Amino acid sequence: MSTADVLTIFSGALTTLLLSIAGIALGLPLGLGLALVRWARVPLLNQMVAVYVSLLRATPLITLVLLIFFALPTAGISVGPVQAGLIALVLNTAAFNCEVWRAALLDLPKDQIEAAQSVGMGQTLRFRRIVLPQVWRTALPGLINEMSQLVKLTPVLAVVGVVDITRAAVRIGAQTYEPLPPFLVALAIYIPIVYALVSVQRWVERRTLMREAAA
Amino acid sequence: MSRIPALSSRRGVLVALLLAPALWGTTGTAHAANLDEIKKRGYLTVVTEDDFRPFEFVKDGKPTGFNNEMIDALRKYAPFEIRQEILPWPGILAGVATGKYDIAITAVLMTKERTLSLDFTSPIADATHYYVKRKEDTSIKSIKDLNGKTVGVQTGSAFLSRLPELQAMLAKEGGKLGKVVEYASYPEAYQDLALKRTDFVVNTVINLKALVTERPAIFELGQPVSGSSYPAWAVKKGNTELRDFMNAFIAAQKANGVMPALQKKWFGEAFMLPVSYTPEQ
Repeated sequence: MSTADVLTIFSGALTTLLLSIAGIALGLPLGLGLALVRWARVPLLNQMVAVYVSLLRATPLITLVLLIFFALPTAGISVGPVQAGLIALVLNTAAFNCEVWRAALLDLPKDQIEAAQSVGMGQTLRFRRIVLPQVWRTALPGLINEMSQLVKLTPVLAVVGVVDITRAAVRIGAQTYEPLPPFLVALAIYIPIVYALVSVQRWVERRTLMREAAA
Repeated sequence: MSRIPALSSRRGVLVALLLAPALWGTTGTAHAANLDEIKKRGYLTVVTEDDFRPFEFVKDGKPTGFNNEMIDALRKYAPFEIRQEILPWPGILAGVATGKYDIAITAVLMTKERTLSLDFTSPIADATHYYVKRKEDTSIKSIKDLNGKTVGVQTGSAFLSRLPELQAMLAKEGGKLGKVVEYASYPEAYQDLALKRTDFVVNTVINLKALVTERPAIFELGQPVSGSSYPAWAVKKGNTELRDFMNAFIAAQKANGVMPALQKKWFGEAFMLPVSYTPEQ
């Protein structure tokens, strides 16, 4: 394995990172939005979100990405491999995030809302001051868990031609007929990425603990 | 024609279920463009593979190999732009069949089953199937020694449809075919052979020659296990104008010496190939 090969895997790592970050950045608020629709029992939308979540949780990501990549062009919409991969990632992770957010929302004691209402807080203010700060903390471990799953799901997108860490490693193995060294390099890149995510979780948790202690 | 090997059968069913309505709808807006449409819009969409050395592979981040150099020649020859995308094997034939890509410029072995959904160009190489074994394994010296041994092949590869030929060869000697292990791609099959999980791997002589040249200490080439077979490029069934255009391109490259030179460079020899070939199996 040459230096150029290692660089190839690192450029794959850039793809994995960018796709993961974009997937998280879009999937996280989308999941919250879906969860709020369900929590607030918005008529009609509530049922539609429930069906969406059940459907998406039952669909393997590989199936979803193949569907988007090969089926959308027949409807006249052309998507590149990276777009198809990102759409699939976001649709998938939003469904799982929705359930994590919803669990946290259901966990929020009703009397908190009632107390906020009693002092005349409007809906937006209630959400910003009372709901989100508490729900965010409860949901965090579940969300980080889902994010680290998402990072490790990205190799699936290779099926439509996205060259992520794993695909870059496979290509090098196919060229040198020695697949083990590139796989070891690949593994050595995944570990710090997921570790960074977990560190963020620990940092946020520690900070909120300290704040609570100070209050 | 389902060639989506990396999936478990349950997922395969899901893919089929989800893709089916989309495929039925292909009569509508998107279909493989015919030659007039390609000329009008100004580009041809080509799909190639990324781990099928020596036909196509990626070296230092750049696509190379026989077919990629043929595409370079095509860029000079064609009066339109060539837009290339690189996919792993499982998506290639699906991409051509759904009309996402106009042509697969990869080594698609011509089989009877595939001619039902694809039209093939003139053959681009001679690819009789051989077996490869571990060099240190002295228990295999000829075809009859393959009796009962475990064989590794790429799933969805053309050799699977030609297994009966090897079965017949073994039966003549009173033997039978051992366990068949299928892999998503050949590099994994070679790795498992080196790890002694299988006893031999079957692939085309071109691929195997490239393998034993690169790793002579580990692998050794055996004998042919099938009759002659040819890889060609594939377009969607019925897109005959595009196929004829590509055949004219191939004929021109044979005449000007570019194709024999590339065969010599990547396969070690230049072949005398038929202009058209109808697979019997």
